[in-house]
Amino acid sequence: MKRAILCAALLALAPFAAQAQSAAELLKASKTTDAVLTYGLGYDLNRFSPLTQINTKTVKKLVPKWSYSLADDQGQESQPIVYKGVMYVTTHKATMALDVNTGRQLWKTAYDYPQEVQRIACCGVTNRGVAIYEGKLFRTTLDAHVVAYDAATGKELWNEEAIPYHDGYTMTVTPLIADGVLILGVSGGEYGIRGFIEGRDPATGKSLWRRYTTAAPDEKGGDTWPGDTAKRGGAPAWLTGSYDPELGLVYWGTGNGGPWNAALRKGANLYICSMLALKPKTGELVWHYQFTPNDPFDYDGVNDPVLTTLKVDGKDRKVLLQANRNGYFYVLDRTNGEFIKGSQFVDKLTWADGLDPKTGVPIRSALTNKVLETGEETEIWPSMLGGKNWAPMAYSPKTGLAYVNSLNMGMKYKIAEADWRRGVMWLEADFAFVLPEDGNAGILRAIDPLTGKSKWTVPVGAPDNGGVLATAGDLVFTGHQTGEFSAYDASNGEKLWSYQTASGIEAPPVTWNQGGKQMVAVVSGFGAVMSMYVPHPVLGTVPKGGSVTVFQLAD
Amino acid sequence: MRLLAVAALALTLAGAALPANAKETFDPAQIAHGKKLFAEICRHCHGANMVNMGGGSFDLRTFPEGQRDRFMNSVTKGKNNMPPHGDVLSQDEIGDLYAYVMGSKP
Ligand code: HEC
Repeated sequence: MKRAILCAALLALAPFAAQAQSAAELLKASKTTDAVLTYGLGYDLNRFSPLTQINTKTVKKLVPKWSYSLADDQGQESQPIVYKGVMYVTTHKATMALDVNTGRQLWKTAYDYPQEVQRIACCGVTNRGVAIYEGKLFRTTLDAHVVAYDAATGKELWNEEAIPYHDGYTMTVTPLIADGVLILGVSGGEYGIRGFIEGRDPATGKSLWRRYTTAAPDEKGGDTWPGDTAKRGGAPAWLTGSYDPELGLVYWGTGNGGPWNAALRKGANLYICSMLALKPKTGELVWHYQFTPNDPFDYDGVNDPVLTTLKVDGKDRKVLLQANRNGYFYVLDRTNGEFIKGSQFVDKLTWADGLDPKTGVPIRSALTNKVLETGEETEIWPSMLGGKNWAPMAYSPKTGLAYVNSLNMGMKYKIAEADWRRGVMWLEADFAFVLPEDGNAGILRAIDPLTGKSKWTVPVGAPDNGGVLATAGDLVFTGHQTGEFSAYDASNGEKLWSYQTASGIEAPPVTWNQGGKQMVAVVSGFGAVMSMYVPHPVLGTVPKGGSVTVFQLAD
Repeated sequence: MRLLAVAALALTLAGAALPANAKETFDPAQIAHGKKLFAEICRHCHGANMVNMGGGSFDLRTFPEGQRDRFMNSVTKGKNNMPPHGDVLSQDEIGDLYAYVMGSKP
């Protein structure tokens, strides 16, 4: 079923043989500028590049160098990986290697999966990209397999089913390589799954450990679920975590409880909507922090856990930052999971009356209590897509600000009866979007992590969901649903440059230095969650079609 | 056969074509059940209340009258990017979905 489409002639021309891509290199990924080695531009997921050639003064000379067709009409969320002059990029149905100098395809390997799997993808048929390690590429697939390819040829090296998709599982996550272990998590929180995070041997694909993200009745935390509700309790783990090699911990977020109707699973429901700190070699849970206990609103806690050091009350703290779906921006002590600060970062938030200042436990609003008690339709902000969805943020240590594609939408939410059936969407709730009067469902924000306050905001109209890149050139790059790819001044949000790509952008941009020239790349391709659910007028006007475009300064 | 278009059915059986202006009619209970199934199983691709957001798929509000077999077939076996559902839905349930799609048109 899986066939490699290889072009021998092109391969012969390919200037680069198989290369090792070592653990030592990965450890330096966030300082490395001549490659894009990991998801998030480094284990800390800062999405910050120290490069300055393209900066607030030169950016107006930024021009496209080449573009490449992904030959696919689904939503494209792949973050390119770049190593020794080769770019690796994915769609749901193929993995590709491109020569970064010419944009030409070196190899393309197709991946076929049963069509019925697409009905399990709640939020779009997509893939978020590869991990690279020791000359191999690793990716996940919509039918919940994990596959390794030879980075030089695209030849499949192994292919392991993580779990049968028939039970409602899919995978779109970019794997993480930490301490020599390949780590990934599953999607499917809307399909009655029991979520998990898994460690595999990159050499063979064999599973080394699996950590289920809902606590079974006989496990610690099992008493936070009534009966056997943990069995289908959700807590998917569908976005890539971060890694602190010094502390030896991987940080990985978990998603919503299932079904959405939280009255059916009274209790905190560990470990839904949480941040987990795990040992990469064993999957041992070292600490956890739960953002939204007993979540009824699909407020996943999976968003990117960004690692940095902040001065808190005069003391340097090793922190983890997260702009959570629930509308609060969290600062946690990543050595022990202690809550340091949580502040509202969206304009409108009605599901809670705030967080307990000591513990961060949310204080449910009367509206939330009402909807859970009566099941009646109630307007709740933010919507089930959150104050920020998957779009990874960037954190600039230079400005101390987090740059976020924030969302500004509410929903009319009510409880709706439904029957569980294997592998089929199961919410026990219904929702309809409420758009803001001014039409600005998307707002780019520069957020101070310790106050949640925005230093500047740029209203963008349609709800952007692609992710942000910040650079030491004082620039912030992000793509829009309209297909525009823009650069803003990191200090004040002034738009300095823009280019219209072929479709809407749902993927995070990257930058690197190619032989003395700073390059910027972004994948374009409208689709996925916003296109499926949000009745924003702009979204209906965007053409489909996946592509990658690479930019550099004009000579 | 839970289709209530008895008169039309009789005409068809008698060898006469369905009059161009004849609308199929459906049991409200079927429509209600179809609506529930739609929200659970179809909505994420075809839009809430069949209002397609643009990035989605076939606009079901435009599904032509009188093509029940095509509907049953496409939903059971799939068609192009439309995934098959025959393994998770019974033919009765797909009939209820048909009732919802056709019976709740404006
Ligand atoms: C994974 C997304 C997805 C799901 C889930 C889905 N559909 Fe579709 N559907 C599509 C797409 C895409 C098309 C357009 C197919 C094509 O290209 O012809 C389509 C087309 C159709 C058509 C028109 C087929 C024809 O004969 O032209 C019908 C009818 C339909 N869907 C009904 C349903 C019903 C009922 C459900 C729920 C049981 C459902 N769909 C679930 C994606 C989906």
